[in-house]
Amino acid sequence: MRKTMVVLAALALAATTAACSQRAATGSGPSNEVIVACGAAEDWCQTMTAAFTAKTGIPAKHVRLSSGETVARLGASKESPEFDVWHGGPADGFEAAKGQGLLQSYTSDITKKIPDKYRDAEGFWTGVYVGALGFCSNRDVLAKTGLAAPTSWDELLQPGYAKQLSVAHPATSGTAYTTLFTLVKLKGSEDAGMEYFRSLNKSVLQYSKSGTAPGQLAGRGEVATGVVFSHDCIKYQEEGSTSLQLTFPAEGTGYEVGGVAIINKARNLDGAKAYVDFATTAEAQELGPTVKSYQRPTAPDAKAPPQAFDPAAVKLIDYDIVAAGKAKKALVQKFEASVATAPKE
Amino acid sequence: MALLSASPSQPTQSAPMKTSRGPAGGPRRARANPSLVVSVAVVCLVLGLGLVFPVLQVLFTAMSPEGLDAVGDLVGSPVNQQVVVNTVVLGLSVAAVGLALAFLFAFVQTRLDVPFKRTLHVIAIVPVVSPPFALATALVVLFGRNGVISQGIFGVPYDIYGLDGLTLALALSFFPVVYLTLLGMMQRLDPSLDEAATSLGAGRGRIFRTVTLPMLLPGLASGFLLLFVEAIADLANPLVLGGDFTVLSARAYIAITGDYDVVSGAVFSLSLLIPAILVFLLQRYWVDRRKVFSVTGKPTGRPHLSRSAVAWVVYALAVAVALLIVVIYATIVWGAFSAVPGVNNAFTLSHFEFVLFGIGSEAMIDTTVMALVAAPLAGLVGVVVAYLVVRKLPRTGPALDFVAMLGIAVPGTVLGIGFVLAYRAENLFGGVTVIPSLVGGAAVLGGSVGIVMVLLVRSMPAAVRAGVSSLHQIHPSIDEASASLGADDATTFRRITLPLIRPALMAGLTFAIARSMTTLSPIVFLTTPDTKIMTSQILAEVDGGRFGNAFAYCCVLMLIVLGLIGLVRLVVRDRSARPAPTIGALTTTAAAVPPTETPVPVGAVPTKE
Repeated sequence: MRKTMVVLAALALAATTAACSQRAATGSGPSNEVIVACGAAEDWCQTMTAAFTAKTGIPAKHVRLSSGETVARLGASKESPEFDVWHGGPADGFEAAKGQGLLQSYTSDITKKIPDKYRDAEGFWTGVYVGALGFCSNRDVLAKTGLAAPTSWDELLQPGYAKQLSVAHPATSGTAYTTLFTLVKLKGSEDAGMEYFRSLNKSVLQYSKSGTAPGQLAGRGEVATGVVFSHDCIKYQEEGSTSLQLTFPAEGTGYEVGGVAIINKARNLDGAKAYVDFATTAEAQELGPTVKSYQRPTAPDAKAPPQAFDPAAVKLIDYDIVAAGKAKKALVQKFEASVATAPKE
Repeated sequence: MALLSASPSQPTQSAPMKTSRGPAGGPRRARANPSLVVSVAVVCLVLGLGLVFPVLQVLFTAMSPEGLDAVGDLVGSPVNQQVVVNTVVLGLSVAAVGLALAFLFAFVQTRLDVPFKRTLHVIAIVPVVSPPFALATALVVLFGRNGVISQGIFGVPYDIYGLDGLTLALALSFFPVVYLTLLGMMQRLDPSLDEAATSLGAGRGRIFRTVTLPMLLPGLASGFLLLFVEAIADLANPLVLGGDFTVLSARAYIAITGDYDVVSGAVFSLSLLIPAILVFLLQRYWVDRRKVFSVTGKPTGRPHLSRSAVAWVVYALAVAVALLIVVIYATIVWGAFSAVPGVNNAFTLSHFEFVLFGIGSEAMIDTTVMALVAAPLAGLVGVVVAYLVVRKLPRTGPALDFVAMLGIAVPGTVLGIGFVLAYRAENLFGGVTVIPSLVGGAAVLGGSVGIVMVLLVRSMPAAVRAGVSSLHQIHPSIDEASASLGADDATTFRRITLPLIRPALMAGLTFAIARSMTTLSPIVFLTTPDTKIMTSQILAEVDGGRFGNAFAYCCVLMLIVLGLIGLVRLVVRDRSARPAPTIGALTTTAAAVPPTETPVPVGAVPTKE
């Protein structure tokens, strides 16, 4: 009997492991449905898909995923992607997906209205919003520690800031990588940028994993200042963290572009195209503020919410998204080797 | 997937129909009992499809050239070496603290004559239901740099991020299971041994050191190992509380979400598998051999309950920990009603509105349905596995047990990616679709089959453990009596064994429900537009900084789990006609088994062959 058992077990295992040949899953359900991998906030995703369906009559559904999860899932199901469209999330994620062959190029008269610097030259992704880095400070903590709301990157280096600053870790957060690349640009070279972060290390309480966490830490009064995208700071303010205050560095700040793209081998290509066109219009981009997502729209004719940063007042650096994406791996490794592992005092 | 859904009923329903005609049904072959063959096949299929196949897929990925690069990176880079060291340190400290907590509470329950023991017991098992992030976020609100307690009461800007906070959160989350096991063991200790030692002139301390402790050693060791594995596999807490203290599970998640690098993610996760497997092997071959049988006959008399000064100190410690647990859970509930927990405490119902009537309502229903399907399956398959391991498969049993236990040892991220790799596309065998697409939007039933499978293998190990420890207490002679009266294996299992291990099944079901409702890391890779899962929604809310919403989700989640557990207790109780021994509550794992039988040594289980 024992032999039977062993043979059975072996057979079961063999059957499962031998079934190696795989075929792309054929779709089920209504074929004209658009499935969106959505990297924006849950309520924004829902508003977008509902508005898209209302406008075009094409049913749409979404799953909220972080950019990394999206790339991982798309990569694991290359031959039969689960999604038709990817909407929201920083451009570096879209660049990574493009590099892995997970996206397909699409341009139309509508997407071409977006300024060149906010979209991929080959059309693999189109920017639908912009966010600028800012200093999100807690007024109460500033008063207690005798610090002023910072208006320069160098102010964060002063001794009074010891353990009063939070930035995310560039290996885990697109926000933090944008910060890193911005300072490399501002300081003129990689080495000078690293030198800045080595000095900054004394001020940093912790390198958080999530890019929005520094704003929350500041909101809870655990640190004086967090470096985050300005729209997140405004959102926390409006959601109840009333002692938060937003300032920008005078010497210039970096920005992110959030994208929309069509997945390679999308099941519903026509629907996906319609979605990208819709997401690029001013009408769709003005939906964000209705659910407290205050990124600045990229469509030239869209009305920016008053909570978004004002390009007339905030100095933006010349941020090259493609170059930033290419430099990421090496820069992050350098950062890990020379900054984040440096012993804290 | 008709196979899967039919699996638990197979050994108990369909099989007896063929064989239970009794002696008149013709000569019965005891050797190749069909119900046994069927149940083994079903268990192998469940484990093969749900665990082995997906994990192998990840392994193949990790062995690609890029994967080998990542291995070199992992071994070579000092940053990553530090991460490995951190992981081991965290595992050890959580195991030590968690074990101390578990022992403390078990000791108070069994050895002290103090008031409110029942309340302490209930509080100690509350963390069985701890939604991911709930404990960690509550700790930040309470003990963070600007915490309600640390800053508000003591005026100390305590930095909870790092090893200390992580150890506290993880130890509190995972100690209840170990506590229940230890409690069962200590309740079964024979007081006559103590009496014998006393009559030989030994003092209280000496008895504890030389009699009690050695007998508890296997339980303590296996608790330590279980805590170690749970601690290093956990993802949610390191994400919130890690600070600069990075561990492997978080590193793997980061590699995937931050570097868009699935291959290194897989490598990091698999490196996590090595200590986990070592720990299970250790347990199997070292601890099990040192098993001391504490029950040798009927207990005579009651253990001496202490009321000494030392006893009150110990009691005070336990009460302090219990208070901490109460405060943490109160924070979760209170946080769900305040605008920004810990910052702006204005009362609001908007978080619950968001969860109950807004975006969250869909996830709530989906999660509950998934858990309702997965948990009973996990409980039943788990008990069948335990039965096979203890009673039917003396040689191959340990291997089966080991594979089943991989369900918690395999990091969730690996399992999640493995499922996408294995079941996103259709699996063909000889050109015929054997397994349709199970994962993702276009999959069967909106991808819910994949999710249920993950929850099943994830929550089964608890049921297996509960079943194994309980079955070890029931003498095989009862089975043999049933067999000699003409019942076959399936009938014996259904009519004799199942009622006897009902408490263990209950405990298994309880853990299974709690676990399937709170599993996070594999789920983030499997949610689809049609199946939204609460834990991944909680992750999104924590990520977006909306702690209020996250807390509201946690409250609803806890209520659902408690409701389901209550329901299970009602259903299982009603079904059983005979008055099976019940000690009540959740002590069932081991405690409620009749302590009259001589336990059977592992690996020496007599079979009927």
